[in-house]
Amino acid sequence: MTTPVLEIRNLHARIEDREILKGVNLIIPPGEVHAIMGRNGSGKSTLSYVLAGKEDYEITEGEVLLNGENILELGPDERAAAGLFLAFQYPIEIPGVATMTFLKAALNAQRKARGEEELKTPDFMRLVKEAGSQLNIDSDMLKRPLNVGFSGGEKKRAEIMQMALLKPSLAVLDETDSGLDIDALQVVSKGVNALRDGQRSMLVITHYQRLLNHIVPDVVHVFSDGRIVESGDKDLALKLEAEGYANYGGEAA
Amino acid sequence: MRANFPVRLGPAEDTLIAQLKAAGADQAAERITVAGLPTRRVESYHYTDLKTLLRTIPPLATAANEASAPALRIPGAYNLMIANGAIQNASTAPAGIIVGRTQGGVLTTRDDVLVHVNNALSGEALTLTLESSVDPVIQIERRIEGEAAHVADALKVFLADGATATIIETFSGSDAAHVGNHATYIALGKDAVLTHITLDLSARATSHFATNEYHLADGAKLRTLIIHLGSGLARTNVFPRMDGAGAHADVTGLNLVSDGQHADITMETLHAVPHTSSQPLFKSISRGRSKAVVQGKLVVARDAQKTDAKFMHQGLMLSDEAEILSKPELEIYADDVVCGHGSTCGKLDEDSLFYLLSRGIPKAEAETMLVRGFIAELLDPVEDAELNEALQGVVDGWLLGGM
Repeated sequence: MTTPVLEIRNLHARIEDREILKGVNLIIPPGEVHAIMGRNGSGKSTLSYVLAGKEDYEITEGEVLLNGENILELGPDERAAAGLFLAFQYPIEIPGVATMTFLKAALNAQRKARGEEELKTPDFMRLVKEAGSQLNIDSDMLKRPLNVGFSGGEKKRAEIMQMALLKPSLAVLDETDSGLDIDALQVVSKGVNALRDGQRSMLVITHYQRLLNHIVPDVVHVFSDGRIVESGDKDLALKLEAEGYANYGGEAA
Repeated sequence: MRANFPVRLGPAEDTLIAQLKAAGADQAAERITVAGLPTRRVESYHYTDLKTLLRTIPPLATAANEASAPALRIPGAYNLMIANGAIQNASTAPAGIIVGRTQGGVLTTRDDVLVHVNNALSGEALTLTLESSVDPVIQIERRIEGEAAHVADALKVFLADGATATIIETFSGSDAAHVGNHATYIALGKDAVLTHITLDLSARATSHFATNEYHLADGAKLRTLIIHLGSGLARTNVFPRMDGAGAHADVTGLNLVSDGQHADITMETLHAVPHTSSQPLFKSISRGRSKAVVQGKLVVARDAQKTDAKFMHQGLMLSDEAEILSKPELEIYADDVVCGHGSTCGKLDEDSLFYLLSRGIPKAEAETMLVRGFIAELLDPVEDAELNEALQGVVDGWLLGGM
């Protein structure tokens, strides 16, 4: 069996005294897209932050292997260099930091961490232009400070552009559909689908089935009360949409 | 005034009194004899207690016979120098500039010890008359060289109606316990546009004091930027006076303090006539055990209706021992104005930092990016590309000199 891109074993995490992840198990083989669905407060977003290495959470048990390597001891920047990318539900606005400066720093930092040469400016510009054009991101947007004054749709498109540039082996998309209208959803989904290449794996976290019409998953997992309680194919998402999460215990939302 | 009890004078005050008397400034000497240097009980020196911070005053400067390398190279700038208080001969001035000299005492008298001492001790002041717009950046280097010295020097600038200019003053010199007391008086004619930057690059042992006074006629536009980063103790007084309708001032400043440093920007902007505006924006970054102070007072005269002024100070603390102090004050005598103030203070935003880290940017680099972003609002408006780059270089040097 080939090494999974992501393997989560019995992961428990807490914030202060509250346990949020209560034994998550998940295996994503190369090239597969898995969706995690669950009601608000079930711990879906916590899982994405824990994978990316946010400091607020304490891991009390379990392992997370990215391409066979345990990443729980790595900082967020090292996890990124190892091939993990988190598309944020709410991308952060950073005044005073130009989008281009940020993109260049991110790309070159990851290249450096992998022992590759830094990109020359013209090559970098070409890459950004290519990635941007597929997502309707023009040079005006790139001249603005990072995410500052971007609409909800622009922020999500910018996230996907970063993903296209950074070429992660695992992309975690946290509620990427939130705040998107139908048109923006299609642009973003198209951008994501263009990055499905049979090798790259994705974990798509969403509240609604809608996104999964556009980004069709190989496996759907139902998340409830800090763990995965059921897994199935894409039809599971349709069933959830019809029946709601009521059958999966926990308190009603 | 309760000045009838004897104030115990220390060696710094004794020296200062002797220097003032020798210069014939009996009145200034008398003030210090009676009141001493200001302590924290004096409102405007509450956070910068000169009696405690200034233990000795070195002898008055003698002529400099050595010069350190230029403190800041700005390609294409027209350079003038005042070394140890003496105006140096300059190269031929570009079109539009008349360089001259006048007797010192350029500042309008007010109740402030730095103003009194400068007016009493600054001998010859450098004058610049800018008759029309000046293209090159005008750089005035103020140096204190050699053994520890007390220097009072002065600059007076007239910017003609409709003229545009950019002036940067740099303060630097040898690594000794100098006390510099620098005065700048600038009058902006009608519709004149000026960018004026004062940059303290003095050695750590130096105590740097400066007073910048501005008078703005109708429609004049001023942008000031005070940067403190060199000396161990720095205090800049900034006194803009909005004298003509339509005048606007962007009064900005940046305290960059590391372990052991104390920097203070104290502003008092007077809106003297109707229909003027000002936008004071200050930032302080403090790391190690250091202290940054910004006091900002907006005074609106009784007739100055429709004044629009908002003071803001933002502090960024990079260590647990860092201290940032903020004192906004409004003194408003008119009844139809829009005036406000705000202060914020905090550490680097953790969500922003996590976002940058999550893209693979290492922590030190991510922190530097965020700090640069914090400062950008002050540096970006400096339009001259060479000057902007030079300032960015100075700030980067500070940032990379140990986070």
